[in-house]
Amino acid sequence: MIRVEHIYKGFDGVTVLKDITTDYEAGKCNMIIGRSGSGKTVLLKNLIGLLEPDRGEIFYGDQKLSAMTYDEKKALRQKIGILFQGSALFDFATVIENVMFPMDFFTDWTRAQKIERARFCLNRVNVINSDSKYPNELSGGMQKRVGIARAIALNPSYLFCDEPNSGLDPYTSILIDQLISELTREYGMTTVVNTHDMNSILEIGDKINFIHQGTLLWQGDKTSILSTDCHELRDFLCANTLARNIIEGKR
Amino acid sequence: MIKDFFESVGRYFLFLKQVFRKPEKWGIFWKQAVLETDKLILSSIIITGVISVFIGGVLVIQTASNLENPIIDKMYVGYMVRESLVLEFCSTMIALILAGKMGSNIASEIGSMRITEQIDAMEMMGVNPAGFLVLPKVVSATVLSPVLMLMSFALGLVGGYAVVSATGIITTAQYLTGLKFCYNGFYVFYSCFKMSLFCFLISSISAFNGYYAKGGSLGVGYSSTRSIIVSSILILMFDLIVTQLMLY
Ligand SMILES: Nc1ncnc2c1ncn2[C@@H]1O[C@H](COP(=O)(O)OP(=O)(O)OP(=O)(O)O)[C@@H](O)[C@H]1O
Ligand SMILES: [Mg+2]
Repeated sequence: MIRVEHIYKGFDGVTVLKDITTDYEAGKCNMIIGRSGSGKTVLLKNLIGLLEPDRGEIFYGDQKLSAMTYDEKKALRQKIGILFQGSALFDFATVIENVMFPMDFFTDWTRAQKIERARFCLNRVNVINSDSKYPNELSGGMQKRVGIARAIALNPSYLFCDEPNSGLDPYTSILIDQLISELTREYGMTTVVNTHDMNSILEIGDKINFIHQGTLLWQGDKTSILSTDCHELRDFLCANTLARNIIEGKR
Repeated sequence: MIKDFFESVGRYFLFLKQVFRKPEKWGIFWKQAVLETDKLILSSIIITGVISVFIGGVLVIQTASNLENPIIDKMYVGYMVRESLVLEFCSTMIALILAGKMGSNIASEIGSMRITEQIDAMEMMGVNPAGFLVLPKVVSATVLSPVLMLMSFALGLVGGYAVVSATGIITTAQYLTGLKFCYNGFYVFYSCFKMSLFCFLISSISAFNGYYAKGGSLGVGYSSTRSIIVSSILILMFDLIVTQLMLY
């Protein structure tokens, strides 16, 4: 469970996030949606502590993120899996080494066990027969999927994904959505996903935060989102033909 | 400007503190150290060697042409070449060259990992990126660079010998006598020490610049240029300080 209380964040005098208060429950797919440039990535980076909010607090359970010591933060981070918007795979390592990287540091498994676990994770994201390729030899979508495999390598308690399905074809995109949703339920993870993919929102959004120009305008889930009367959100949804048909059909 | 300077110095020392935290796993550290040795030290052998041979040769010609006075024994050519090589050339000059080669390599490698969020990714796994990426580089550069210095010294003398025997400016016997004349082992130690210190400066400063690179690929280029400039200036400053402290 992650709680966010009144956070503000700006860069060089320009406020990007304004007074965001929300919470993310365990075992649910929490989604942050909004137009490009609305501040989703900045919010996510604040949540994981890569950026510090100018004001406000973030709680993991009942621990304040800003009050944690170096060692506490380190321990927490070992329970976090992250997929960055640009995948952030390590150039110096092959696909399988990328997935094994966190295991090298935080487990005492034998090499065979690590390889087995890495193959398992790679299988779940449908990356097969590419173990010894380097990240620059992969397509963008494959990099994303390897990034997800690396994020789930150690069964994290918290999973953060920044646009997991941008750059994926619709079919793979659905596989990834299902994977994220399955893992979340299976392991009771607290999952936070940034996205503007309408399919994912309607498919797996247990809790949805709509951010508009840095402000949290609406919260709800995948059913209530279709009957929202927040018109910025409706404009956002209606840019998608499928969602527009559903919304207009409902009226 | 002055405030920026002190801020950078402060950040540099905080960065060093992060670098010298105990590694998460020694096994991983040693593995990285071997890789870095290959990348930083072994790959510098050829350039260092080539430069040393040529400079040794040039020094012989220059010294010989400046010792025209018949009263001065020609063996002093060998002596002076040896002293210039060991005192200054093999540590300071080679370090300045390594500042270019090693410095730009380290800064651009770490800088591009920074801007592609690989360092963030590592940090978010709970790994200390400074320890994993930078410590092996600093350790291997600092500990093994004296080997480069010794090699450069030896090859410089060989280069000198080659020129002496090819041109006959002086006899090879005079050259060899000169090389053995008034030999002071402390100078070799002094030079090795300088080289270690310089390579520590190069590796840590370039890593620091890369680690805090921002602004895309332009930022990486900028950080690599700045590493070279800053390390070169510091090498010369510390050359002066160390020489005053150790030789005077
Ligand atoms: N490091 C930074 N320095 C200055 N401004 C920044 C920085 N990071 C983000 N911003 C600004 O914050 C705003 C929100 O950016 P953010 O990356 O969060 O958008 P986003 O919602 O993730 O968009 P997208 O869907 O395109 O990824 C943008 O206007 C951006 O210019
Ligand atoms: Mg983003």
